[in-house]
Amino acid sequence: MTSAIAIRIVEMLPAVPAVPMADVVEATSHWWAGFILWCPLISLALCGLCAAFRVKSKLPAWITVLSLACSFVLTIILGNLEDVPERIQLFEWISVDWVGGSFVANFALYIDSLTILWMSFVTGLGTLIALYASEYMETDVGKGYARFFSGVSAFLFAMGCLVMGDNLLMLYLGWEGVGFASYWLIGYYYRRPAAVAAAKKAFIVNRIGDLGLALAIYLIWSTFGTVQYNELITHLDAGTFAASYEHWSVEAIPYLLMLAAFGKSAQLPLYVWLPDAMEGPTPVSALIHAATMVTAGIYLIARMYPFFLLEPTSLHVVAWVGGLTALLAATIGMAQYDIKRIFAYSTVSQLGYMFLGLGVLTTYGASYHVFTHAFFKAVLFLAAGAVMHGFAGQLDLRKLSGLRRMKGWRIVAWTMFIGCVCLAGFPFTSGYFSKDAILAEAFVTQGPGFEALGWIAIFTAFLTAYYTFRVWCRVCAGPVHFEPGDELHDDGHHDEEHEFHPHAPRFAINFVLVVIALGALLASVPYFMTNEVSEIKGGWIADMVNDSTAAAGIPGHEEHPGTIAHDAGHAHHGSILGMDPHVAMYWISGVVGGIGLFLAFWLHLWRRQDADRLRSWLLARAWIRWLPVAMENKWYVDEVYHALVRAPLWLLGHIAYGFDRYIVDGLLVDGTARLPRLIARWFQPLQNGLLQSYAVTMAGGAALITLLMVLMMQFFEGGSVQ
Amino acid sequence: MDGLYPYIACLVGASALYLLLRPGPLVVKLLGTVVGFSALAWLVVICSQVVPGEIDPGHEILFLIFGAITLSSAVRMITHSRPVYSALYFVMVVLSSAGLFLLLEAEFMAFALIIVYAGAILITYMFVLMLAQQASESDHVDEVPLYDRLAREPAAAVIVGLILAGTLVSATTTGLTHLPDPVDESVMNRVHGELLEQLPRQFKNAVLATSPDATWPPTPDSSGNMIRWDAEGPFVQFGTEAVRIDPDQMPSNTQHVGWSLVASFPASLELAGVILLLAMFGAVVLARRQVEHGEDELRRDIGLDPMHPDEDGEGTSA
Amino acid sequence: MTLQLATTFSQLSLSHYLVLSGLLFVIGLVGFLTRRNLIVMFLCTELMFQAAAIAFVASGRYWFNFTGQVFVIFILTVAAAEAALALALVVLLYRRRSTLNADDWMELCE
Repeated sequence: MTSAIAIRIVEMLPAVPAVPMADVVEATSHWWAGFILWCPLISLALCGLCAAFRVKSKLPAWITVLSLACSFVLTIILGNLEDVPERIQLFEWISVDWVGGSFVANFALYIDSLTILWMSFVTGLGTLIALYASEYMETDVGKGYARFFSGVSAFLFAMGCLVMGDNLLMLYLGWEGVGFASYWLIGYYYRRPAAVAAAKKAFIVNRIGDLGLALAIYLIWSTFGTVQYNELITHLDAGTFAASYEHWSVEAIPYLLMLAAFGKSAQLPLYVWLPDAMEGPTPVSALIHAATMVTAGIYLIARMYPFFLLEPTSLHVVAWVGGLTALLAATIGMAQYDIKRIFAYSTVSQLGYMFLGLGVLTTYGASYHVFTHAFFKAVLFLAAGAVMHGFAGQLDLRKLSGLRRMKGWRIVAWTMFIGCVCLAGFPFTSGYFSKDAILAEAFVTQGPGFEALGWIAIFTAFLTAYYTFRVWCRVCAGPVHFEPGDELHDDGHHDEEHEFHPHAPRFAINFVLVVIALGALLASVPYFMTNEVSEIKGGWIADMVNDSTAAAGIPGHEEHPGTIAHDAGHAHHGSILGMDPHVAMYWISGVVGGIGLFLAFWLHLWRRQDADRLRSWLLARAWIRWLPVAMENKWYVDEVYHALVRAPLWLLGHIAYGFDRYIVDGLLVDGTARLPRLIARWFQPLQNGLLQSYAVTMAGGAALITLLMVLMMQFFEGGSVQ
Repeated sequence: MDGLYPYIACLVGASALYLLLRPGPLVVKLLGTVVGFSALAWLVVICSQVVPGEIDPGHEILFLIFGAITLSSAVRMITHSRPVYSALYFVMVVLSSAGLFLLLEAEFMAFALIIVYAGAILITYMFVLMLAQQASESDHVDEVPLYDRLAREPAAAVIVGLILAGTLVSATTTGLTHLPDPVDESVMNRVHGELLEQLPRQFKNAVLATSPDATWPPTPDSSGNMIRWDAEGPFVQFGTEAVRIDPDQMPSNTQHVGWSLVASFPASLELAGVILLLAMFGAVVLARRQVEHGEDELRRDIGLDPMHPDEDGEGTSA
Repeated sequence: MTLQLATTFSQLSLSHYLVLSGLLFVIGLVGFLTRRNLIVMFLCTELMFQAAAIAFVASGRYWFNFTGQVFVIFILTVAAAEAALALALVVLLYRRRSTLNADDWMELCE
C-alpha cells in the first residue's frame, strides 16, 4: 500500500491489516471447477423437466442431491489443489470497449481461500439439506416436489455465482439470483396468503439493499474502471489510484456495500423480512435463511474488506449495527412461542455477531462464526422441521413437551440439544470459540464505544443461552405432552384428531441430523489446529481468511509484513478485568452462558410454573409491564415500519393512482381520444352516404390540390424569371 | 393582378352556370346565357392577350362557332330536366367537337367520334333511358320526376367547378407562354416523309405521280435514306436530280393514326380489344334477367308434375 | 384530300382549345355533381371524356404528333366499355328499386 493510505489507516486504527496480495494465477487447468456451478444448473433443468413430465416419484430429490454432492466434492478437490488465489475463465460474458474506457465482466471464477471456505459449507450443507428435504417434502411428491428442488438447485447455482464470481457483476448476478430463489422458496406454499406476503416482503426489503449494491458496483467501476477482483485489489494494493482515494466515492462505496449486506443478511433497519421468511418449508429456512444465503452480506464485506479499511468509520457503523441487531433480535427471540420464529430471531442475532466481528476487525472471528453457525443453526432448524413434520405443523413450544422420551424422537431431541449447546456458547463447543473470538476482539480493538459494545454482546450471549434452552427444555424435556398442529396430512395414519399419532422421522432426516450435529461439534476443532505456514492460531480457517482479501485481525497476525503488530493493540488497550481479553472471554462467556442455561432450565424445565408467575408478575407492574409486551410484539418494529413506510407509500400510491386515473387517463388519454370524436361529430354530415357528396369532396380536394400546385409553380417560375 | 383575370372570368362564368342550374324563370335563364357567353368572350380575349402566336382568322371563326355550340350544348345537357334531351344535347356536343377535330386536321377521329359516340354509345344510352324512364314519355313537365328537375346542391358543385376551371385556365394561359414555337413546315415534312418511306407502294405512286419520267428506284443517300426533307417539302434524289414530292400525295391523317397505333402501341391495342370483350361479357352477365327456378319449375321442365300445384308460377321471376 | 385551313398552329390556337377542353371538363364535372339521374351522371362522365379527347387532339396537332389521336381511340374504347358496364349496372339497380335517383342509394354510409 502507498504511504498515503497507510498513514490514514494508522491514524485511525490500532492494527493495520495488510492485504496479502499474491499474484492471481490464471488456472486454465482447473476448468472443471465450472462444474461446481453447472451441476446445480443441470439439476435445475432436469427438475424442470420432471415437473413438465409430471414425475410422481422422488427423482427430483435424488437428482438434486447427486448434483449438489458433485459440487461439494469438486469444491473440496479444488480447495486441496488451490494454494494461491487463482482465476478460472469459463467464458467471455460482457466485454465492451470504447474510447477512454472499457467494461469487462467475464464469466470467470475467482478462487481464493475465502471462496473455498464459503463454498465448502454452502455445497456441503446444501447436499445434506436436500437429502433431508427428500423426506421432509414427500407429501408433495409430484409437481410441487420438482418445483421445490429446482428452487434449491437454482439457489445453489446463484449462491455459487455470488461466492465464486470473478467480478462484482457476477456477484450481483448471484446476489439477485439468491434473492429470487429465496422468493421462489418462501412462496412455495403459494396458496397460503401469509407465505405469499412473506415472499413479497423478503423480496421487496431486499431490493433496498440491492439498490445499494448496484450503486456501489457502479461507483467502483466509475472510480477504478474495473469490477474484477484481481484488478481492483491490485489497484488498492499498488496505490496506482492514490489520487482518487480522496474522492468522495471511495468514502461512499463502503456504506453502499453495507446497505446491501444489511439487506441480505437481515441487519437492523432491514431485518424484518427474515422472521417472516419462516413461512417457507423448513429445509429452505435451514439452508437459505439460516446457513447460507443470509451470510452473503458477511461474505460481501469480507470480500470487499479493503474498501472498508480505506474508510474506517464505516467499520464502526458495521460494528454498532451488528451489536444492536444482536441485542434486539435476542430480546425478541426470548418472548416468542413459535420455535422457528425463535430460531429466526436467533439467526438475526447471530448475524449481528458476525457483523460485529467484521466491525471490530476480526474477519477471522466473523468467518469462523459463519462457519460454525451454519452447522448448528442448520441442525436447529432441521430438528424444528422434523418436529413440524411429525406433529402436523405444530410449532408452539407451549403445546409440545417431552420429546426426548417419545419413541423415535430421541435422535431429534439430542441433535437439537447439540445445536442448542453450540448456539448457547457452552464451553468447548464450536459456538463458544467462534463467539469468543468476536467478543474478545470487541474489547481489543479501539473504536467508538467498542467496550460498551462488547458488554452488550456479552449480555446478548446470556440472552442467547436463555432463549435457546428455553426452547429445548420446553419441547424436548419435561413430561410427554403434545397437541397436533393444523396441517393434518391425509395419509391414513390419523383420520381423526383424537387419534393423532406423531410420525417420527425416518432414515433420511435422522441421518442428516446426526451428520450435521457431528459437524457442529467438530467445527470447534479448527480452533485448536495450528497453522502450518505462519503459526497463526485458529487453524485452517484463520489461515484461509488470512490468504484472502479479508485478511485482517487474525489473532497472532503480527508476522505478516506491513502489519502493525496486533500486540500493540493489546498493549495500549489493555485488558478486561485485568486479564488478556482472549483469556478473560473464555471465563466470562462460559459463566454468562451457564447462567442463561441454568435460568432456562429452572424456568422452563424444573419449575415451569415460575415462568408463568414471573410473566404475570411483570405484567402486573405498570413500570415494567411494557417490557414483556414490547418483546412479545417484537418491539413493534413491523408496526413502526407500517406507519413510517407502508402507510405513506400506500397514500402515495393512491395519490398516484388518482393522478393516473383522472389526470393521465381521464384528461390526457381519454381527452385526446375525445378530441377527434368531437371533430368527427363536426364533420359527420359529410359522411352521408350520398354518392355525389363524396364526389364533391373528392373533386374539390383534387381541384384545391391542382390550384395549390399551379400557384406554387407560378410563384417559383415568376421568381426564377426575374 | 393580371393573373387574377382568368379566375374572375371563371367566376363570372360559374355564376352564369349557377343561374342556369337553378330552377327559375326564363328571364334568369336568358340572363345566365348572356352572362355565360360574355364570360367566354372574355376568356378568349384573355387568351389572346396573354398567349403569343399568330392565328388564322378563318380557323378562329370556325373554332368560335364550333366551340360555342359545344359549350352551350354541354350546359344545356346538364341543365335539361329530361334525360333523353340531355342525351340528344350530348350528341350535339359530339357533333360539334367532331367539327373541332376537323379543324385540328384529325379527320379520322372526327368521323370515328361521330360513329362510335353518336352512333353507338349514345344509342345505348337512349335504349337504357327508354327502358328505365317510362314517365318521360309525356311532354308534360309535371310528369318528369322531381329528382330530374332539381339540381343537387348546385352551389357546392359550381364552387368546385369554379376552382378547377380557374386553375385550368390560369395554368393554360400562363403555361403556354413557355412552350417552344410551333412546328414548322420542315418538321411536318419530316413526319410525312418518314411515314411515306414506310409505305413502299404509296411512296412509288407518289413519286411517279410527281414526276412520271423518273427512273425507279431513287438513289439513297449516304445513310441509306431515300427521302430528304427541308422547309420546302420532302425530296427524292434521282442521280443528280432532286424531285419534290407533291404535297397532295402525302400520307393522310388516317394513315398516320393507323401507323402510330400499330407501330407504337400494339400491346395497348390488344389490351383495348380484351377490355372491350370483357366489358361485353360483363354487360351480358350483369344485365341478364336473373331467373331462379323453383323446385316445381325444374320438375315441370323435365316433364314431371309439380309437387305444389297451388304455388305454381310464383317464383318464376326474380 | 386533306383540309389545309391553317398553315401554322400557334400557342394561341392551342390555348383556345385547351381552355375549351377545360371548360367542357368542368361542365361535365358540375353535371356529374348536380344531376340526380344515374344515367345522366354517366353521360356527364362521357362529357369529361370528350373534353379530354379535345385536349389530346389539340396537343397532338400542336406537336404534329399522332399519339394524341391514338389516345383518343383508347378513350373511345374505355368509354364504350364503361358505358356497357355502367348501363348494365344501372339496369340492375333500376330493377331493384324502379328509380334512377342516385340519392336513393345511400348504403355507402353504413
